[in-house]
Amino acid sequence: MRTGVIGLILPPMFSFLEMMWRICPALAVGCTVVVLVPLGSPTPLLLAQLAGELGSFPGILNMISGPASLGPVLASQPGVQKVVFCGAVEEGRALRRTLAGMGPELGLVLGAESLLLLTETADVDSAVEGVVDAAWSDRSPGGLRLLIQESVWDETMRRLQARMGCLRGGRGLDGAVDMGARGAAAHALAQRYVCEAQSQGAQVFQAGDVPSDSPFFPPTLISDLPPASPCTQAEVPWPLVVASPFRTAKEALAMANGTPRGGSASVWSERLGQALDLGYRLQMGTVWINAHGLRDPAVPTGGCKESGSSWHGGLDGLYEYLRPSGTPAWLPYLSENLNYDIFGLAVPSTLPAGSETGPGPAPPFGLFVGGRFQAPGARSSRPIQDSHGNLHGYVAEGGAKDIRGAVEAAHQAAPGWVGQSPGTRAALLWALAAALERRESTLVSRLERQGVELKAAKAEVELSVRRLRAWGARSQTQGHSLQVAELRGPVLRLREPLGVLAIVCPDEWPLLAFVSLLAPALAYGNTVVLVPSGTCPFPALEVCQDMATLLPVGLVNVVTGDRDHLTRCLALHQDVQALWYFGSAQGSQFVEWASAGNLKPVWVNRGYRRAWDQEAEGAGSELELRAARTKSLWLPMGD
Amino acid sequence: MAAQNPGTELDLSWISKIQVNQPAVLRRAEQIQARRTVKKEWQAAWLLKAVTFIDLTTLSGDDTSSNIQRLCYKAKYPIREDLLKALNMHDKDITTAAVCVYPARVCDAVKALKAAGCTIPVASVATGFPAAQTHLKTRLEEIRLAVEDGAMEIDVVINRTLVLTGQWEGSDFIKTSTGKETVNATFPVAIVMLRAIRDFFWKTGNKVGFKPAGGIRSAKDSLAWLSLIKEELGDEWLKPELFRIGASTLLSDIERQIYHHVTGRYAAYHDLPMC
Repeated sequence: MRTGVIGLILPPMFSFLEMMWRICPALAVGCTVVVLVPLGSPTPLLLAQLAGELGSFPGILNMISGPASLGPVLASQPGVQKVVFCGAVEEGRALRRTLAGMGPELGLVLGAESLLLLTETADVDSAVEGVVDAAWSDRSPGGLRLLIQESVWDETMRRLQARMGCLRGGRGLDGAVDMGARGAAAHALAQRYVCEAQSQGAQVFQAGDVPSDSPFFPPTLISDLPPASPCTQAEVPWPLVVASPFRTAKEALAMANGTPRGGSASVWSERLGQALDLGYRLQMGTVWINAHGLRDPAVPTGGCKESGSSWHGGLDGLYEYLRPSGTPAWLPYLSENLNYDIFGLAVPSTLPAGSETGPGPAPPFGLFVGGRFQAPGARSSRPIQDSHGNLHGYVAEGGAKDIRGAVEAAHQAAPGWVGQSPGTRAALLWALAAALERRESTLVSRLERQGVELKAAKAEVELSVRRLRAWGARSQTQGHSLQVAELRGPVLRLREPLGVLAIVCPDEWPLLAFVSLLAPALAYGNTVVLVPSGTCPFPALEVCQDMATLLPVGLVNVVTGDRDHLTRCLALHQDVQALWYFGSAQGSQFVEWASAGNLKPVWVNRGYRRAWDQEAEGAGSELELRAARTKSLWLPMGD
Repeated sequence: MAAQNPGTELDLSWISKIQVNQPAVLRRAEQIQARRTVKKEWQAAWLLKAVTFIDLTTLSGDDTSSNIQRLCYKAKYPIREDLLKALNMHDKDITTAAVCVYPARVCDAVKALKAAGCTIPVASVATGFPAAQTHLKTRLEEIRLAVEDGAMEIDVVINRTLVLTGQWEGSDFIKTSTGKETVNATFPVAIVMLRAIRDFFWKTGNKVGFKPAGGIRSAKDSLAWLSLIKEELGDEWLKPELFRIGASTLLSDIERQIYHHVTGRYAAYHDLPMC
């Protein structure tokens, strides 16, 4: 089902093609679009005029020409269902914070830097042409980070410098020039970066036949930048190339994945095995093998980490502008008086109310972290009451330290889990389903104590088992190859795990929701840190006892405690790759606000209850889409 | 002619370390043709420059002294006098780089050029052109005779048998092919050859020339070739000593383009002298 009204905010230097790539899919699925373009670009306004002349549908495409400060204003208009922001990382972060609780979904496309990884078995001359395409032409989106294997360092630098000498700059429409100019702001940015790099001890080489007056900036090659300098972490502006050497492919991967950027990269190697290995292990949205900068509307283009998680092109590009049928329009749920600084900071103490009468409760459950139950850092427990108000049991009071430990354990388990074949993952999920079946009576009695009727409780357990099996079967699908015009060779759309996924389960459906969220996360290769239902965490903790024996250590970590406090810890954690929150409206708002820290994709319920027993909401394609991220792998072929 | 290539020891490791990625080279070839466009008076200048690189060639079975004579005259006066005057280039001594003929016709060519008062060299194909499947003795004799007759340059066809069995030779110039194959001078192949020339220069300091031959018929193509050389090797190679284009009908297309630039009209076939 189409999303509705889309707001699109474009950066100061955007290409017409990029704008069309975002507008057209939105219009195609039936959304209407309002675009905020920076001042001084007449072409989009002309496009809007043409759209207006279409007669029957005035208003499907609207352009506002204005300063960047209008962005938040546009985004907070009532009726806007989704905002797509393209631009710089810091502005994206600020927008994320401003929009928390306002209602629209936020899609971010941030940064323009790309990466080129040159191994010793590459065709260096062709890779040099790749560098030209990536950084020193009008088609380049931004600057380039260039990683060169040490053994071919001298050769590559020589060829790069010779090639730079042949480049020509000038006015963009002159056919004999390679690159034009992108305005005074871009010039200033590049100049600042070069000065900083030089002051940190880098070598700067500039060449090419480029007019010396602003705003033209010559092609620049920066090398010998110390790895610890601030410039290596900052984004490389156009038209700069920062070159660094590496010794082995493993080191190259560490360097490539060691920045917050996750946009696009190319791998140059004539050894198929090595090229594919690097391609799969790079944390990027798009990877080209022995090519750079190829684009096609049928191939999804997007990023991960701080490059934003909005996609255009291909299937994912269409899903950006769709939402599951039957979901209501997003309304603002902003809570004006939510203080982000104190939300969830302090844990209210939970002393047992009244005296404990009746049979002694079982010893308190610990936290399930690192494959076993352990005591929480705070060494305290909280009581859980059943539907009659009597004490049901005690669970651990988890805190910030426990969350930290859980996330660490999840990260440690991640490489092993990702490396498992889909078949192994399926087998484990089926084994877990079987264990749940064996535990049926315990689970039913726990649910009954929370006021669920016997029949409903049995149905809940049965449905949970079925869901585990179903998701196990779905873990078989890996990726598929796309048809791309004008390219000889496949382009693979891979579905990769997000990493460590944090899940805060809803209070309702304590077993079913827990399983419905856990299963897809595991099926797609994620490791999980989970906060179970607050009113009834026991079904989840019972299942943990089976997970201790069946699943690898650290794969699933369950932390109980004050939900707001734990949510705060997870949302602010910089090393959690995504967060699913099903709780209160205030919590949802906080999660959206806090996700700006590392720009993790979040999924919140805004305080609404979800019908977990319905197929569409409990086991639908939305879960499948959100549990993994896409990577496009281009494999041009020929000999 | 360029200084002779003194050659080096055969080091096959140079070759085994080379990697060529075909799709990337194809993309570069497309780029060269699409992106670099020269217009107006610069185009006219580039075309005249292209003329000075042409090895005006006639290699047909029915060559006789009369068509050789016509060819040599055309080599001396490639562009019509009045067109050159209009461009103010009539006194720059614009001729083609050489005339290329079969060994039996070298005598005729030398005589015709002398009669026209022209100093451009006569190049002869030799060594069993185009297949080179003749005995070494006769191939050497062919070269000797051609040189005696007055040829200053020899286009040698390498022994493909030796190539396919990995036994290599050196040269001053490398040519894309004889021009008599089904596929002759294409940009991807040329890009790889030019990169090899540049690598050789970087390793040894010796400059080897380059000659694409066969299939270059339009003026637009010749401009693309010039920009390819300029981008891959630099202005140093844009000299007749290091770059030649083996062509026959190319010259008439260039002349027609120049006619259009000068007069603004498209010439008919009979407006320009044939070669």
